[in-house]
Amino acid sequence: MRSRKPIDDAPQSPPAGRKRLAIVTTVWKYLSHAQHMGDRFLVGYPMDGAWKKPAIDVVSLYVDQKPEDDQSAERAATFGFKVYPTIAEALRQGGEKLAVDAVLIIGEHGEYPRNEKGQVLYPRYEFFKQAADVFEADGRAVPVFNDKHLSYSFTKAKAMVDASKRLNFPFLAGSSLPVTWRLPSVDLPLGAVVEDAVMVGVGGSDPMDYHALEAMQSVLERRRGGETGVRRVQMVVGDAVWKAADDGRWSRELLGAALSRSDSLQGLSVQDGRPQALAEGDEIARIAQDPAAYLIEYVDGTRATLLMLNGVLADYNLAVKVQGRPDPLSMQFLLPPTPNVAYSAQLMDKVVRMIETGRAAYPVERTMLVCGMLESCLDSRMNGQTPLETPHLAVRYESPRESLFART
Amino acid sequence: MDANGPEPDPPLAWTRRAAMGAMAVGAVGVARARAEAAQPAAEAVPKPRPRIAAVATCYYKTSHGQGIIDRFMDGYGWGGKHHRPAIDVVSLYVDQRPKGDLTDERVARHPGLEVYPTIAEALTRGGPTLDVDGVVLIGEHGDYLRDDRGRMHYPRYEFFKQVADVFRKSGRSVPVFNDKHLSWNWEWAKEMVATSRELNFPFLAGSSLPVTWRIPEYETPTDAPIEEAVCVGYGGVDSYDFHGLESLQCFVERRRGGETGVRAVEVLRGADVWKALDPAQGGSARTKALFDACLCRSFRLTSPMEGYGNAFPTLEQASKIAADPLLYRLHYNDGLVGSLFMMSGLVADFTVALKLAADPAIHSTQLYLCGISPNQTLPNFFSPLANHIEAMFLTGKAPYPVERTLLTSGVLCTAVDLLAEKRRLAETPDLAAITYQAPVESQYMRS
Repeated sequence: MRSRKPIDDAPQSPPAGRKRLAIVTTVWKYLSHAQHMGDRFLVGYPMDGAWKKPAIDVVSLYVDQKPEDDQSAERAATFGFKVYPTIAEALRQGGEKLAVDAVLIIGEHGEYPRNEKGQVLYPRYEFFKQAADVFEADGRAVPVFNDKHLSYSFTKAKAMVDASKRLNFPFLAGSSLPVTWRLPSVDLPLGAVVEDAVMVGVGGSDPMDYHALEAMQSVLERRRGGETGVRRVQMVVGDAVWKAADDGRWSRELLGAALSRSDSLQGLSVQDGRPQALAEGDEIARIAQDPAAYLIEYVDGTRATLLMLNGVLADYNLAVKVQGRPDPLSMQFLLPPTPNVAYSAQLMDKVVRMIETGRAAYPVERTMLVCGMLESCLDSRMNGQTPLETPHLAVRYESPRESLFART
Repeated sequence: MDANGPEPDPPLAWTRRAAMGAMAVGAVGVARARAEAAQPAAEAVPKPRPRIAAVATCYYKTSHGQGIIDRFMDGYGWGGKHHRPAIDVVSLYVDQRPKGDLTDERVARHPGLEVYPTIAEALTRGGPTLDVDGVVLIGEHGDYLRDDRGRMHYPRYEFFKQVADVFRKSGRSVPVFNDKHLSWNWEWAKEMVATSRELNFPFLAGSSLPVTWRIPEYETPTDAPIEEAVCVGYGGVDSYDFHGLESLQCFVERRRGGETGVRAVEVLRGADVWKALDPAQGGSARTKALFDACLCRSFRLTSPMEGYGNAFPTLEQASKIAADPLLYRLHYNDGLVGSLFMMSGLVADFTVALKLAADPAIHSTQLYLCGISPNQTLPNFFSPLANHIEAMFLTGKAPYPVERTLLTSGVLCTAVDLLAEKRRLAETPDLAAITYQAPVESQYMRS
């Protein structure tokens, strides 16, 4: 790790060649996103078979909440940076003008209320806005990373993206699932025609469904014609999930392909270890707890479904029917275990590269679109699980040509 | 890897390897085995659905018996679908049936399966002669003697011998898979391979590590000039160290000139291991670089700093985390030195790093054991192993040479002796005579 230096020595200008980073977060405690992402800039991280220590210094921190197990004071003391009482002060290092070269916004974990749709109201938009206000006031903008979705609200997410365009700074956001290891190590061939897709995931809404949707999106955006946006969504829950399959709304075959990649089937596999073909028969309906289907129709007609299947499995897997391929393409998005959480090193390396190059590796529109997909799905559920037209989600963007998930 | 097993016990599952005809080492001298050559023979003519006898020490959740045999009967995720093997497990012998035994449940659910009281009867299905087309031997888990050298006396040799007796009496042999190392007793291990050669049947054995996922995907280039190879693993003696040896061997056997055998085995323990990694104390900087690369491929690296989830340890920190480190150093005939560091406490996975000549980069990967992390339930690292076993039953050919496992079994037996006798190095003329050529095609799981 880098050498320790006294706090009162915090430089206003960086050592030659090094970049200064401000971290803005809800809470910094063990195993929080701030800890496992922020620490990468303090102690380095494994990358490509070596321990990488980027030439980036964390120079300031803002934490919104300090629970009993808060680690922010310890980190600041150990690594010689200061915790500021406001975001603006953190970005200016207590001075008059913006005094950092990049901002990491991590609005995940901490005690925040939920709205009627069940979304946690993490103040990511509010954090971002304060950073953008500093950029605007000081006449200079620097790269920003926003962990996870931009906001629970598409309107707010879009305002964030618009601000980044107006102020012209690199803006990267999203989940680590799109960049983590895949088993097998495959991607949708760029320009392939997608006929259908089924993603399976687990966990609560809205944190985990967001991860699953973005993982799926990071693959599907490579289809022929590029991303054209989403025209209609519907979310159904309970027995309606299985009825939707019977009605041809999503494919049991693709569910089988996705589940074939899982290392965590539940039910009888937990009981006595046996492998199972859960896509066949009714066992899956018996063991699923509050299943939900997020039915997505893209503007170009492509169809995709996220199945959240608590009680069925405990990992994230995707199957895609590709035109001209007899068998579905399928993969697991691997989430290596705590406390190393190796996936977060992969995501933070994308941030490091953005800070080093001034260029975001993939478009923030991906994350913005997924924010909207998720919000509209939850609206559909609230609205009697009926289909919802989404003209506001006609978000077009082009996927990077190169696959950017962990492979080396 | 075995969440349930009694501690110093060995683990779950895996092993792989394969075989082919074998060779009598020592007694007969060097045999140059070639994977593609090993193949026999009229009696192994594939049938539409081979009938398989499964012989296991025990059959409970998380045991190797359950992990492997269940996959043949219930299928498993493979290549993007639920694969149902084109083989039928028709007979079963289970040596111990402790609490949690699943034998009855499996027999009730699989009507074509019958349990027999002896191995011979399982192979003859109660008739006069051999009446199956393949045999799976899984001598892992169960309550067996652990001797004063720390060796678990799993009855793999005893099981194998009973199988071979039936083959002899029947005048016919069929392919055999032996899970993990051949035997805790080197003479017996040699005899097993010699018998497979004498009776001319395909013989596959070993750990699942060589055939499981690699993160990232990496394979030793064919005929690569390897300067040095390191594996870092965890677990106990005569247990997971075998998996580490197979992990190392499956990469180095592809080097230029093929496998040349091991002329000596060296074992270091405790402070000597850290010295070997410390250039300031006469250790090798290159070995340390390879060791570091392995740690950087781990998903389960113990943090040296409390409250930090993932930090890289200094040697001093590592020495406090891994209280009883082991180093098995393999001196190959062609001059290559391979090192297996057993670092219980520091890591909880298996990683390999290679330095090739004329290539400044270090190549490293993790041999990923899917299914044993928290929240995972299916030991799917058995799936590629099961798939290779099926392939042997269907084609009559072992997909990779059993000499790999003979060699790793011999290294392990030597290492156990050295540790027990507190000696550092032993010449290994038997192992120096084991030469073979690995299959050109990679055998690990990629799709």
